[in-house]
Amino acid sequence: MKVGLFVTCLADLMRPRIGFAALKLLESAGYQVVVPLTQTCCGQPGYNSGDRWSGQTLAKKVLGEFKGCDYVVVPSGSCAGMIKVHYPELLAAFPELAKDVDTLVGRTYELTDFLISIAKLDKVPGRFPAAVTYHDSCSGLRELGVKQQPRTLLAKIPNLVLKEMTTPEQCCGFGGTFSLKYGDISARIADQKCDDVTATGADALVLGDLGCMLNIEGRLRRRGDHRTKVLHIAEVLAGMTD
Amino acid sequence: MQITSQNFKATAALKLEDPHLRKSLSGLRDRMVVGRTKAAAEVGNFEDLREAGKQLRDHALSHLDIYLEEFERNALANGAKVHWAENSQQMNELVLQIAQQAKVRKIIKSKSMLGEESGLNHFLIKSGIEVRETDLGEYIIEQSGDVPSHIIAPAVHKSKEEISDLFHAKHKLPRKTDIGELTREARMMLRPHFLDADMGITGANFLVAETGTTVIVTNEGNGRMTTTMPRVHVAIAGIEKIAPTLEDVCMLLRLLTRSATAQPISNYITFTTGPKRPGDLDGPEEFHIVIVDAGRSRVLGSELREALRCIRCGACMNHCPVYQNIGGHPYGWVYPGPIGSVLTPAYVGLEKAIDLPNAATFCNQCGVVCPVKIPLPDLMRKLRQQQVEKGLRPWQERLGLKLWTFTASHPGLYSLFFKLAARVGKWMGGSTGLLHRLPGGGWTKGRDMPAPKGKTFRELYAERRP
Amino acid sequence: MSARENILRRVRSALGASSSQDSNRAAATRTNLSAHPRGPMPRMEWDCVVRFKERCIGLSSTVDEVASMEAVPAAVAKYLQAYSLPNVASCWQSLIDLPWKEAGLDLQFRSAHGDDKTGITGCFCAIAETGTLMSLSGAPTPLTNSLLPDTHIAIVPRSRLVASMEDAWDLVRKERGKLPRQVSFISGPSRTADIEMTMVLGIHGPYRVHIVWVQD
Repeated sequence: MKVGLFVTCLADLMRPRIGFAALKLLESAGYQVVVPLTQTCCGQPGYNSGDRWSGQTLAKKVLGEFKGCDYVVVPSGSCAGMIKVHYPELLAAFPELAKDVDTLVGRTYELTDFLISIAKLDKVPGRFPAAVTYHDSCSGLRELGVKQQPRTLLAKIPNLVLKEMTTPEQCCGFGGTFSLKYGDISARIADQKCDDVTATGADALVLGDLGCMLNIEGRLRRRGDHRTKVLHIAEVLAGMTD
Repeated sequence: MQITSQNFKATAALKLEDPHLRKSLSGLRDRMVVGRTKAAAEVGNFEDLREAGKQLRDHALSHLDIYLEEFERNALANGAKVHWAENSQQMNELVLQIAQQAKVRKIIKSKSMLGEESGLNHFLIKSGIEVRETDLGEYIIEQSGDVPSHIIAPAVHKSKEEISDLFHAKHKLPRKTDIGELTREARMMLRPHFLDADMGITGANFLVAETGTTVIVTNEGNGRMTTTMPRVHVAIAGIEKIAPTLEDVCMLLRLLTRSATAQPISNYITFTTGPKRPGDLDGPEEFHIVIVDAGRSRVLGSELREALRCIRCGACMNHCPVYQNIGGHPYGWVYPGPIGSVLTPAYVGLEKAIDLPNAATFCNQCGVVCPVKIPLPDLMRKLRQQQVEKGLRPWQERLGLKLWTFTASHPGLYSLFFKLAARVGKWMGGSTGLLHRLPGGGWTKGRDMPAPKGKTFRELYAERRP
Repeated sequence: MSARENILRRVRSALGASSSQDSNRAAATRTNLSAHPRGPMPRMEWDCVVRFKERCIGLSSTVDEVASMEAVPAAVAKYLQAYSLPNVASCWQSLIDLPWKEAGLDLQFRSAHGDDKTGITGCFCAIAETGTLMSLSGAPTPLTNSLLPDTHIAIVPRSRLVASMEDAWDLVRKERGKLPRQVSFISGPSRTADIEMTMVLGIHGPYRVHIVWVQD
């Protein structure tokens, strides 16, 4: 089975290791993974800023790039949500694309959802003998129902202890361009998330969306917390945390 | 009500620095988020109810003209007088006319969001009539000359100490500090007004088409007083408030009270059908219903129609991470939080509330609790699109998006750009691997930015391959 | 054109409808209005009597129980004494035949005044689902008795208990046909949380609601 990996633009630039971790997980699960090298952005920044043209332009590009794949896997709930939940509406004005959109939507999975629902992984390569807490990113959770999948996967790592936050489902305040346009509000919301993370005493915060990662890690470091690691779930599962 | 949504950013910045507000809002969040979850679980089929509530509101809205006529017919048959107002100004004038014809000197009022929209109190007071808000929260707001910050708990931003000072100054009684005593003092001060007012004004949570009944939901009892004690009762209601039958009201009540205040039911649900009947010992001689459009029909015909399903519970603001940190005032009009970010631009104009639909993380914590499933983030996104279409976004943002779209459409250019950014970013991050300052400052005022690692995924991926 | 016509015209144009006589739409509303379809009903796996009393207590009401209507006045007297309240009250005309005097009570059968300490009422029916009293306005059953006094004592005969709010409306339709001027759902003493989200009982309505449950 051929899996197309959509690395996401943020991982490409900010944290390539997430892409490699996803690659490793998919390959070790026995999939042939292709990484279309023309891929860039899913179109979410434009779409959520009200620029439909921008969203459509990039969505059409994604549509073409992953045509030959049996599955498309994305290590980000928000980019996967963009494709699965929003592409049909965004591209509704192009009836000639309807079939392709439908196919792509059906084939696209958020990484942990894919590893559980399709790959049915029973072992993961990662070793992380530490206390971690998991943040449920909004799009993954509320658009795609990603809640139990990452927890089930983390539970497969020996000696990893999950310490839940009081409100793991509370938004971290990232919100894409919101974090730049309303930086003070965004940072304040992130601050509350940091309080919740810190209160668990966990050694690492694990999550599935790079936007939230940058936001929470950025706030933690500004608060002077250089101890708590902030890791993408793919990194933890693949054993690529150093 | 005067609109101050233009000052969203500045007001929000002030509110973020207000420690009292922070305490009030965290109290609201703790109580309402946990409370609603429990109350919803208790009913056993809350998700079915939400779906049914959505469908019912959609049905009522898509047959609104027929139900409004049915409502009017039944209300008239019960002896109510029915008036129609196209906008806020007409509504205010109609209410004033009713008051003047009945030689009204004093009005008691039960909370009405529509009344807030039109600035009804101010208008009546200017015309020489005494008006007294009777909901405790609204009374506190009225006495302090403030504006509400929440649709259910209007004075949630005020501390007990502020209210102590306020009551002490206004009531000229020894200063109380206990919340129970403060509440009792308000009861004592307001009771005489209930007994000697000539007219009562209420809103309506629902207009029941089947029976021509207006319904109000309260906890304090002021709604019952307002509809029973004075000789004239005026109910003002937006056209969207239609619930076809009493059964429909039951279903909406199950959703409303749990979503609003985490109660299985509010203390008083008051169904009013016409004025005092022959032989009745209490009740008003005259009962007027003013049915108001004020922008609703325009929204009905727009891509924002779903917002009209709103039953004004306030759950969206209670669950909104932005509201939870800045409170209601920055939103600058009657409705704060996510629903306000949709209704304010819809009712007062897109260009007067530029920030509102943008100041949201799209976390959808609002959408998943909305008792009638209003897709609030989707509606806010539509408003963002309208802003783009009308050229209301700043040029820097427009240019930035165009450049991004161009770059991301050209993989060669994109990869060059990212290659450069990864290197510059790593260099700037230095030994800490953190960027402390970025252009614009929006991000780095309160946060660092973890720096890129020097090479992009695509570079490393290319290197890895033979 | 009047405001009414303008509004209805705008609504129709927003809905893309020609008129309210449009047969499909009109039929849909007529069916709905005559059939009173119920929405999804809450899970009701409880015993109505147990549920009602539990809900009342949950709403901060107090509940007493007597065997018959004749025993009500003594129970009311006992309650008033326990709270050191005077033995006077304004009471519904519909309850005039009970042996109040024998229980040492001096009741006035009228609507309540603003300074009455205690109001005594019955109810049209009670709703187990929510612990609610449903009160219908009318000459012998004025609304102020359950509203103005500090203490509201409500007599609830078991025979008047229904399961749900919808059942209550069915009973109104069956017994009255038409709605009175006002129907009140009363669920416990009046309350507010408008100051610092702190719940306080007794803002504009009663501080105390006492249910006298009659087994009949």
